[in-house]
Amino acid sequence: MRQKGTLGWLKHDITNRGVTAWLLTIFLLAFYLFLYYGGRQFGSFYVPDVFTAVANLLFLPDKWKLYGLIYTLAVTFGGIHVIRKYRHNNYQIIRTLVVIFVQATFAFSIPWILTLFEQPEYYFSYLWPLEISYFYPQNILYMPLPFILYSLLGALLMVPVLGFFFGKRWYCSWVCGCGGLANTAGEPFRHLTSKSSAAWKFEKWAIHITLGFALFTTALVVASYGVTSYGQGDYAKFAETAASVQSLYGFIVVTMLSGIIGVVLYPIGGTRTWCRNFCPMAAMLGLIQKFGRFRIRVKKDMCISCGLCTKYCEMGIDVRAYAQKNQDFTRASCVGCGICAEVCPRGVLRLENVWRKDPQELTMQGLLDQTYKA
Amino acid sequence: MHYVIIGNGIAGASAAFEIRKRHRSKNIRITLISDESDYFFSRTALMYAYMDRLSREDLEPYERKVYDRQAIERIRDRVVDLDANAQFLQLASGDTLNYDRLLIATGAKPRQAAFQLSGNQPEGIVNFVSLQDLDECERLTWSTQQAVVIGGGLIGIELVESLLHHKIDVTFLVREPYFWPMSLHAEEGELISEHIRSHGVDLRHNEQITQLATDANGRISAVSTDQNNQFSCQMLGICIGVQANIDWLKNVQTPPEISRGLLVNRSFQTSLPNVFAAGDCTEITLDSGKTLLETIWYSAKLHGELAARAMMGDTIHYRPPIFYNSSKFFDVEYTTVGDVIDVPAHARALYRKAPGKLITQRITYTDDQVIGFNMLGSRWDHTVLQRWIAERRSIDFVRQHLHEAQFDVEFGRAKLHSMDEIEVEL
Repeated sequence: MRQKGTLGWLKHDITNRGVTAWLLTIFLLAFYLFLYYGGRQFGSFYVPDVFTAVANLLFLPDKWKLYGLIYTLAVTFGGIHVIRKYRHNNYQIIRTLVVIFVQATFAFSIPWILTLFEQPEYYFSYLWPLEISYFYPQNILYMPLPFILYSLLGALLMVPVLGFFFGKRWYCSWVCGCGGLANTAGEPFRHLTSKSSAAWKFEKWAIHITLGFALFTTALVVASYGVTSYGQGDYAKFAETAASVQSLYGFIVVTMLSGIIGVVLYPIGGTRTWCRNFCPMAAMLGLIQKFGRFRIRVKKDMCISCGLCTKYCEMGIDVRAYAQKNQDFTRASCVGCGICAEVCPRGVLRLENVWRKDPQELTMQGLLDQTYKA
Repeated sequence: MHYVIIGNGIAGASAAFEIRKRHRSKNIRITLISDESDYFFSRTALMYAYMDRLSREDLEPYERKVYDRQAIERIRDRVVDLDANAQFLQLASGDTLNYDRLLIATGAKPRQAAFQLSGNQPEGIVNFVSLQDLDECERLTWSTQQAVVIGGGLIGIELVESLLHHKIDVTFLVREPYFWPMSLHAEEGELISEHIRSHGVDLRHNEQITQLATDANGRISAVSTDQNNQFSCQMLGICIGVQANIDWLKNVQTPPEISRGLLVNRSFQTSLPNVFAAGDCTEITLDSGKTLLETIWYSAKLHGELAARAMMGDTIHYRPPIFYNSSKFFDVEYTTVGDVIDVPAHARALYRKAPGKLITQRITYTDDQVIGFNMLGSRWDHTVLQRWIAERRSIDFVRQHLHEAQFDVEFGRAKLHSMDEIEVEL
């Protein structure tokens, strides 16, 4: 939808927050509202259960299988587009193939197959605290032992160790479904992430508050599990409080922020709104990444300050500020998608896992004083 | 103390920030004058703005607030007169300005083609160097189906790529027999020519424009060439190089010495007291008496920083670093270090090419040491290559350690061991 002869006509409307972008956002919002609230009665208003109807037509067991199928198709076709677009870049090809594979298996077909064998519907690609219920005793303790062990050791051992060696990218842009959708179907919108310093400040607060909320909720639910089994009186009240905190977390974080907002805002707010600002898993991995081996190396004196790296960073990092100052860096939010290195026309940037620790001169204040875009 | 800088390109802006880095006091005034743009922008990224990959504001490497925070004053105006005795500038708007130290960083401007000098300037002729050129290109794009671009260098190929992005049929006329002989040897030049053609460009070597035709509205409609071809076009891009933007200094009250560029010594001082110059507008006189015109981004950035230090009283003796540059021709990245074209008579080269891929390396060397690198299609850490030249490493050493300078993405390292290798005389 480009209007010849008008100012800025060279821009694509849908990828530049134009009318079509807003329409797409409204469509996505409707999609998710029907998905989550279809078949429910709100006062006198009944939300038609469109998804269940379509699922039945397709002989799928329920609407969530239908959603999983749509999601997997979006990741697959988006991924094919991304592989074609970056066909000369092996990192992008391999990473995207892994993302598609993980989505199609661990996040879609394997849990389904498990249920056919009367096993729990378990998603190996999701771990606590992103999948917070895998630490809720009432869910996990009724699973077979291997699932219990994987839930605990995966979250407490595998995640930090891999994070230390490879940065948060091993999860956020190789395994996770949220990141997977962002990096495939969301590709055309990645540049819309705000690069402002205000957005950075918001991110720092929001993501750590959400992490705190997740830890607090988990602790409360675990503690109350013990007391609901044995307690009475005040204990029952405590268990009630824990249950209401659990459902509050479920509504705000799981449904609203990760389920709805995360994808609905693609066309106007960029692809990683959830990952950047709220995901407790990303917050934890980010802290580990700061002390780990992952970093982005900057080739000295080769940057031409063009700004493509900053523009196409889906996490809103002003990469150019580091590149033009010859500053190797590790930012907690960086998911290591590698697009900054890909779009750089002078090959200035490279993702690395190394032991060498360089002092990182540019703090937030340092950036604000010099180069940060607002 | 008032530092005034004419030109807010990479040289001027680097100088301004360099001065402010040392003098935090707001009593030290710094003023940037430009009639091109309100804020410093990355000229090398113009093509990405034209291709809708960046907005105008994305081109600015520094946040707009930074200028206030750093107390760098900006004036959008053109300097028309300079009196070095009174330390005084006259601006086109009628305003005047006094300075204590002046830096001239007015950069370069596009060279004109012979057929332009006749005064015949139809609408549709564009350059691709300034923000105003970008505006003009964008204005013309929607009414253009065919375009002709002349000049086989970096700006030419950037303009061709941008036009192609907008689905315009492009005829690319290059006077030389292969692409960019100034920096590439025939083998690589021909590979790049082939690569350009593979993107659907009608690239023609050894061909120049002789005549222009215009339509009833005074817009360019076709060009004729010395090969008796006629190409219809609604846009004509002139990308035949740049020259120092110094003509404006010829008629000022105290003209500085100029030659091909504004002459400066190794401390970036012009012939006028308290007047310095940096970047693409300068011609630097070296100790040998030879003069040096450097017109790339990296040298301008370095000039700006060093000139700023010279203005603040540091002793500066500029010695050009071992030359390096980089570019990208459509999908092919290019890194060059040292001397590859302009080499001693007895120099030889090792030319390596990946079978079936556009990945090449050319390493030039003399009897005892490596002197230059031309690398296409894969990424290299130029600092390692520079160090090998500085350390006077032998060709055998370099060939053995070449992988240490690779800078490709993970899983994407160019396979050096499976390349064809030949030795060539130069």
